[in-house]
Amino acid sequence: MPADQRIAAATGTPRDPSQAPTYSVYGAAWSGWAFVAVALTLLGIFVIGPFIMSLGLSFTNQRLVQNPNVPVQWIGLRNYVRLFEDPEFWNALKNTALFALIVVPIQSALSLSLAMLINSSLPGRNVFRTIYFLPVIITMTIICVIWGALYIFPGGALNSALSWLTFGALDPVNWLGDRNFALAAIILCSIWASVGFQMVIYLAGLQNIPEELYEAARLDEASGWQQFKWITMPMLRPTHVFVLIATTIFCFKLFTQVQILTQGGPRGATNTLVRYIYVNGFSELRVGYASAATVVFLLIVLAIAMIQRAIVGTDEA
Amino acid sequence: MKQLLTTTIAFGLVAHGAAAAELTAQSYASSIGTSDAMIAGAERFEADTEHDVTYNAIPSSGYNDAVNAAAAAGDLPDVLMIDGPNVANYVWAGYLRPLNELVDPELLADMTSAMKKQGTYGPDGKLYCIGPVDAGLSILGNRAYLEKAGVRIPEGIDDAWTREEFEDALAKLAELEEVDAPLDMKLNYGVGEWMTYAFSPIVQSMGGDLIDRETWKADGTINSEASVAALEMVQGWNEKGWIVPGSAGDASFYGDKTSALSWIANWGVKPGQEGLGDDLLILPMPDFGSGPVTALGSWCWTITRDAEDPQAAADLLEYLLAPETIAGMYEAGVYPSGRTSALSSTPRYDAGGDLELYQKQLDQIAIERPVHPAYPVISSAFSQAFDDVLNGADPQKALDAAAAKIDRDIEDNAGYPPFGG
Repeated sequence: MPADQRIAAATGTPRDPSQAPTYSVYGAAWSGWAFVAVALTLLGIFVIGPFIMSLGLSFTNQRLVQNPNVPVQWIGLRNYVRLFEDPEFWNALKNTALFALIVVPIQSALSLSLAMLINSSLPGRNVFRTIYFLPVIITMTIICVIWGALYIFPGGALNSALSWLTFGALDPVNWLGDRNFALAAIILCSIWASVGFQMVIYLAGLQNIPEELYEAARLDEASGWQQFKWITMPMLRPTHVFVLIATTIFCFKLFTQVQILTQGGPRGATNTLVRYIYVNGFSELRVGYASAATVVFLLIVLAIAMIQRAIVGTDEA
Repeated sequence: MKQLLTTTIAFGLVAHGAAAAELTAQSYASSIGTSDAMIAGAERFEADTEHDVTYNAIPSSGYNDAVNAAAAAGDLPDVLMIDGPNVANYVWAGYLRPLNELVDPELLADMTSAMKKQGTYGPDGKLYCIGPVDAGLSILGNRAYLEKAGVRIPEGIDDAWTREEFEDALAKLAELEEVDAPLDMKLNYGVGEWMTYAFSPIVQSMGGDLIDRETWKADGTINSEASVAALEMVQGWNEKGWIVPGSAGDASFYGDKTSALSWIANWGVKPGQEGLGDDLLILPMPDFGSGPVTALGSWCWTITRDAEDPQAAADLLEYLLAPETIAGMYEAGVYPSGRTSALSSTPRYDAGGDLELYQKQLDQIAIERPVHPAYPVISSAFSQAFDDVLNGADPQKALDAAAAKIDRDIEDNAGYPPFGG
């Protein structure tokens, strides 16, 4: 028996599609649209609408606050030309990409490790779950203020700890004031602050893996590493896709940490795309220009998310 | 935060009848008590009239963003304190009402000339912003260190240090074992208005400026030879380890005494005297070649276009600028008075007073920050360039970038009519 017939026999689907009852097609379509209507409306108002508005504004010299002296004008591609000519924009893009390239793998691996730790049957695991997740529910602003105090140069807690651990061999590091360390300091703080979120996603993924698979593997005398490699990793595929894309997008949205800890400095070493958009649109009131940057930003993030999906998530996800 | 709580508690919103106005006022929040003095003024206003005031004191970092957001939402506070050099920008953007028809002409006439200079909008010649106090910028010194290092102590503007003397003093002071870095430029205030306020006088004292004040073009002025030389000089000080890094905190001069000179405004005098006692010196601004220069201007009060009862707002201004308020701010941070008639309540600035030098510098060698709507961008471009140079950027390139940024903003706003070259 050919494969499709076997499946059909097993599931009881009619063999000939033309015999399928037609009403269900229209009915399903109608009720389907009804179900997504709410979501579509909200998406339209809060996502698609603003994006189309940004696209329109990006071709004008719109200001945040209207001014009678400077009427809004259509200025064609001037915003885009200036954007691509601005070294600050390229610098912000470079920093953002670097941040994502470093944070996404480290944070994903770390959150998976933490999730596996607290998924085991260690005593007190609920306490650890809570502790690892705590930073996620603390406001980022407060986390940044606390980390800012840890990073104080030369006498902050981190420098004191490093100097104590190395018996004074390490000189104090100006974490937020040195171009070579500022981005690393932001990365450290960001990972600490948000690793708990991905951990919870992975924990949910881990708990969805049927225990029988591991039992069967243990009967076959598979080692812990083999179980991880051949059961845990493949079964987590949809979770990987989600975590990867979500973390990348989080990374590209990096703003609060740099705004509070470094204001993009020193010498632009931690400026990011979102901060660039914020400064241009909000502090300098150039909404048209900021809209152009937003459009470019969205296209970049969209392209990366689609490439990631194409590579890792071919099926369901 | 504490500020907000206390003010909200202090102003219980009790209705006093139909004519009573509910006014909102907003100023910066100060950690040394100057905003408390203004809040006390608003409380006296509440006690004397049937109006109510909700007073918000918010941190000065991000203040400009908060004002723009309120303006975009059409919800500016009735009475708003702004940093002096932003007056032109806010008037041009239509946020403010002229004070001439609203406020008692006697009060306006009583403002010091520096206050009038700062608050007058060029195109219509009207006054939009009046502040209770001015601020004075100079250099504080530690007498013990200067004497130990054998540095000449100048008496006044006429015998101010030259560039050679100033650099020689820094070199000698750096040698002292008590001193880590001799010059505290308050880099701990961060990148922002402080850098423009405090360090554009260096550029001007070398013969440069932030922008051409006739043609309103930055290119050729902010990146002129003199301006570049000024930033090269500062970069040199930093490379020699003469400048206290921003991350060292506030107290290197008056607290741990690891610096010998402090480039700071009048609010440094009080902690300086508490920390150093009689060793505190108030020194004139150095002459870097084209004569010594100091900055002028301070935060001042405006009435916004969103004020529903401008007359009540104007009455409130009288209290916020009352002699008692000025005395309170003088008490908190030894600020020089913004009103001529209140000069007697700030006696240390009088002839023979220990702060007379500030007043003399304000009268003789002060240059106001450019009164132009592009000022916020001029300031952010200059302070960014200054910070970049401290972090090792090439001064010419940093200032070229600042010039491009300013000129681009002016072009984007069609030359800010009716300004323009």
